[in-house]
Amino acid sequence: MSFLDAKPGVPLLESDDLVRHYDVNRGIGKPGATVKALDGVSFALETQKTLAVVGESGCGKSTLGRQLTLIEKPTSGALKLNGTEVGDLTDKEAKQFRRTVQMIFQNPYGSLNPRKKVGQILAEPVLLNMDSLGRKEREERVRATMAKVGLRPEFYQRYPHMFSGGQRQRIAIARALILEPKVIVADEPVSALDVSVQAQVLNLMMDLQEEMNVAYVFISHDLSVVRHIADDVMVMYLGRVAEKGPTEEIFAKPLHPYTRALLASAPKIDPTQRVKTEPLTGELPSPINPPSGCAFHKRCPFATEECAKVRPELRNFEGREVACHRVEEIA
Amino acid sequence: MALLEVKNLTVEFGSEDKPFRAVDSVSYSVDRGEVLGIVGESGSGKSVSSLAVMGLIDFPGRVTADALTFDGQDLLTMPAKRRRQITGKDIAMIFQDPMSALNPCFTVEAQIMEALKVHEGGNKKQRRERTLDLLNQVGIPDPKSRMTAYPHQLSGGMSQRIVIAMAIACNPRLLIADEPTTALDVTIQAQIIDLLLKLQEDSDMGLLLITHDLALVSEAANRIQVMYAGQLFESGPADSIFAAPRHPYTQALLEALPERSEGHDRLRTIPGVVPGQYDRPAGCLLAPRCRYANENCVKARPEVSDFNGRDVRCFYPLNDQGQPTGMATGETV
Repeated sequence: MSFLDAKPGVPLLESDDLVRHYDVNRGIGKPGATVKALDGVSFALETQKTLAVVGESGCGKSTLGRQLTLIEKPTSGALKLNGTEVGDLTDKEAKQFRRTVQMIFQNPYGSLNPRKKVGQILAEPVLLNMDSLGRKEREERVRATMAKVGLRPEFYQRYPHMFSGGQRQRIAIARALILEPKVIVADEPVSALDVSVQAQVLNLMMDLQEEMNVAYVFISHDLSVVRHIADDVMVMYLGRVAEKGPTEEIFAKPLHPYTRALLASAPKIDPTQRVKTEPLTGELPSPINPPSGCAFHKRCPFATEECAKVRPELRNFEGREVACHRVEEIA
Repeated sequence: MALLEVKNLTVEFGSEDKPFRAVDSVSYSVDRGEVLGIVGESGSGKSVSSLAVMGLIDFPGRVTADALTFDGQDLLTMPAKRRRQITGKDIAMIFQDPMSALNPCFTVEAQIMEALKVHEGGNKKQRRERTLDLLNQVGIPDPKSRMTAYPHQLSGGMSQRIVIAMAIACNPRLLIADEPTTALDVTIQAQIIDLLLKLQEDSDMGLLLITHDLALVSEAANRIQVMYAGQLFESGPADSIFAAPRHPYTQALLEALPERSEGHDRLRTIPGVVPGQYDRPAGCLLAPRCRYANENCVKARPEVSDFNGRDVRCFYPLNDQGQPTGMATGETV
C-alpha cells in the first residue's frame, strides 16, 4: 500500500506545526535576521473539501502554499499525505507526491509560457509524469481535459497571448488537473479577474471538485469568495493561525478580534449588513521583528498587558480553534 | 452649476477611418461636496475617461466632447498653459498603484514640495511646513522622519497616503481617485477610504471615485455610474441603483457576486467576455452576453434615456421585479 492510497480515518493532507524561516541579509556590518514567514501552522484537509486560507499580504499564506506543494522544503514541522510523512520521501516518491498535489498560480498572465501553444503547455506535465503514454494518447488526454474546463478544441494550437484573463486561468486550471491530482493548492486564483469572469471560474472550480473529487487549499484575501467556496476557513496573521473553523460559523460569529476586524472592514453591498466600526489602525508588523506576545496586540482594541507578554496558543473554543487570551470575555 | 460637467466625451485611438472608441459619448457631472462613483469591469473605459478629464491622453489618442467644463471654464479650448494651472491644483488625481506613482529617486518631501512649488510658490521653509502639515493630515505616523524617506522604504498603505497628500497639497476642488485601494489589503482599504471621505467632507471637495468593486462604491458614493465597453449603461443614486437595477448588465453584475448567492450554489455568470477592439457587436454592446437580448438589440444600438428617474441605455429597462419592460412576452432570442 503506497502513501498515495487513501486510508480510512486519516486526513488526505495534514500539516503539523509547519515552519518556514528565511535568513535575510540586512547589509554590510549588520547582523543577519530571520523572517518567520510561517511559524507553526497545523491543519487537516479531508477529501473533496475546500480549506480557505485568508489574511492580509505578508501573513504567510503564499509561503504556506509553496510548502504544501514541495516547491520549498519547510524549515521544520511535518507535512503528511494520507498519514505518511512527506519529508522522508525518496526523490521518486516526491515526484509522485507532486502529481497528487498540484498548484494554480495567482497571475494567469505570468504563469503560462508565452512561447508555447496551449497544447504543449498542457502536454508537458503528462510527458514528464506519465511516460507510458504515447503521443496520440497524450494528445487525447490534453483534449479531454480542455473539454472538461470549457476550452474549445481549436484552442489547442493557440498561444497564451491570444486569450483573456479568464480563459488563461482555465488553461492554468486544466494544467493542474491533467494529472488527476487529489489536492489543488490555488493561490489567489480569481483575484486578477473581473467580477463576471470570476464567477465563471469559481463555478468551474466547484464543478470540477464534484466531478473529479479533488480537495482545494484556496488561498485568498477576498472574504466574499471564501465564504462562497470554502468548507473551512483558516485566518492567518503574521505566519500564525489566528482562528480556524467551519466557514458558516466563522462568518456568522467571528471570535478572534482580527477576524472581526477583517470582516468588518470588507465593504458590503447590502446596506443592512453594514456595521459601523472603527477601522483597524496601523499595519501588519514586520515579520523580521514581530511584536512580543500576541502579534496582533498593537492593533487590537481588547489588548491587555498579558497580550503584550505571552503569546496565545491555538485552543478550542465553541468548536473552533482560536488563538486569543481573552476569547471567553469578548465572545 | 456643477463643478465638473462632461457631455458626450469620446476618446478614440487608432486610425481616423477605423477608430477604436475607448470611451463612447459619456456624460456626467460632479458637484461640490459630492461623491460620484464610476464602476465597470476592465476595458470599460473608466480610467481613460478620467485621464481625458485630466488632459493626460497623448497623441495619437483623440479627445472630443460637446462640453468639458470645470467651474464654467471650457477645458478643451483654453490655452495649454492655463489648463496646466488648473490640473494638479484645482483638479487632482490619485493613481491606482501607489508603488509606481511615486518616483523612486526622490524623497517623499521633495515630491510633495514639487507640486507646491509649481502651484503655490512660497519659500522652501513654508513649503516644508506645509508638507509636514499634509503628512499629519493623511495620518502618517511620525511624519518628521518620513519626510526624508524614499518610496521603497514605505509600505503600500503608507505610499498611498503620500500620493493622497500630494494630490490634496494644493487644496483641489475636484479629486479624481482611480482605483485608489485596488493594490491594498481590506483593513488598509477601509482606512484609506475613510481618509478620502473625511478629506472630501472637510473641504467640500467633489470626489470622482473610480473602481471595479461594487461593494466599495455602494458604501462610499452618493451617485453611481455603471460603464461597459466605453459606454455609460446606467446611472443613479447609490442607495437605489443596486437595490433595484434598471439595466440588465447591472443586474447580471450583482448576481455574479458571491455574496448574492446562497450556500454552495453555483453563481449566475455573464457568459463571454467584454468585447475588445475588433469584436464590437453592431447593435447593443451587451447583446451577445445579455439574457434578455432580442433581434432588435442585435441590430440597433440603444441610446441613454430616462427611466423612472434613472439614466439607462437599454431598449427594455428592468422594472422593480427585475423583468424587462416594453418587450412582447416570449420575444427573446
